Amino acid sequence: MKYQSRMIAMASMAAFALAGFSPAALALDVEAAKDLAEQNNCKQCHGIKKDKDGPSFLKTAEKYRGKANAEDEIVKHLTSGKKVKLADGSEENHKIVKTMPPNDMAQIKNLAQYILSTQP
Amino acid sequence: MTQSDPGRLGWWARLKRPSAKHSVLALAAVGFVGGIVFWGAFNTGMEATNTLQFCVSCHEMRDTVYQEYQYTIHYSNRTGVRAICSDCHVPKDWTHKLIRKIKASGEVWGKITGSIDTKEKFEAKRLELAQHEWERMKARDSIECRNCHSFEAMSPELQKKTPYKKHMEAKAAGKSCIDCHQGIAHKLPKGYKKPGTDDEEE
Repeated sequence: MKYQSRMIAMASMAAFALAGFSPAALALDVEAAKDLAEQNNCKQCHGIKKDKDGPSFLKTAEKYRGKANAEDEIVKHLTSGKKVKLADGSEENHKIVKTMPPNDMAQIKNLAQYILSTQP
Repeated sequence: MTQSDPGRLGWWARLKRPSAKHSVLALAAVGFVGGIVFWGAFNTGMEATNTLQFCVSCHEMRDTVYQEYQYTIHYSNRTGVRAICSDCHVPKDWTHKLIRKIKASGEVWGKITGSIDTKEKFEAKRLELAQHEWERMKARDSIECRNCHSFEAMSPELQKKTPYKKHMEAKAAGKSCIDCHQGIAHKLPKGYKKPGTDDEEE
């Protein structure tokens, strides 16, 4: 009986660890994300909490938070150069985020996670 | 002491003494040819220090900024135009180029003393080094950028709307390229925030 309860406790801890600390969540490196955002001039058009020509990081985070495909959607936004609507109503292709080395998806995903982590 | 007794003259007096042997024409010809040879050699030597190969011959540059530069548009792009180190970091006109080269002797001292001889030391000093270079560029209104780029040549049809708007605002405000375009061919120093991009998070 004692053995069984110990097993249940261990299984619960493992489940909790998997749910709460997925590899993606562990990967968030805030400083690296901030540096990449700075390098790519993201904040010329996006404030953290303030809308500029584009929506704030907070607005994006709130739009996608809780959605299963949130990270993928933001990654697509950062890498596809798709058309976006600016604050003045005009349209423009979004800048494709550049990394060193090029197309380093780990860095892009980290930036997407950083945007998603923005809190009010 | 007489001119007929040259053996007893000092070196300076010998230099000052008129030639008894050679004609003015011969002396002028030797001086002219010698001048060309000296000038050519001097300039060739100076230009040799302007090549990409020279700049990356030291590991301090080759292992750090050169690696980053290879991923940027100034190294590889659609049209095949390349800006090498000296295009951005050394003035084109002779006088300022010479002054820059003389100042670069400080970099030789840095090499001898090993001030950035490891990646860690380089990263620790990157902000200071970058700031020196940004100040130098700002002081000359980013002339090295403007050798190729100018506000006037920017097409409102071909440039994206937002960058065009920002460029025209910068022009009206009398800004220089380096005021906004920092870290375009190299990584920005860790934790560095560009002026004008600070917002409510700070």
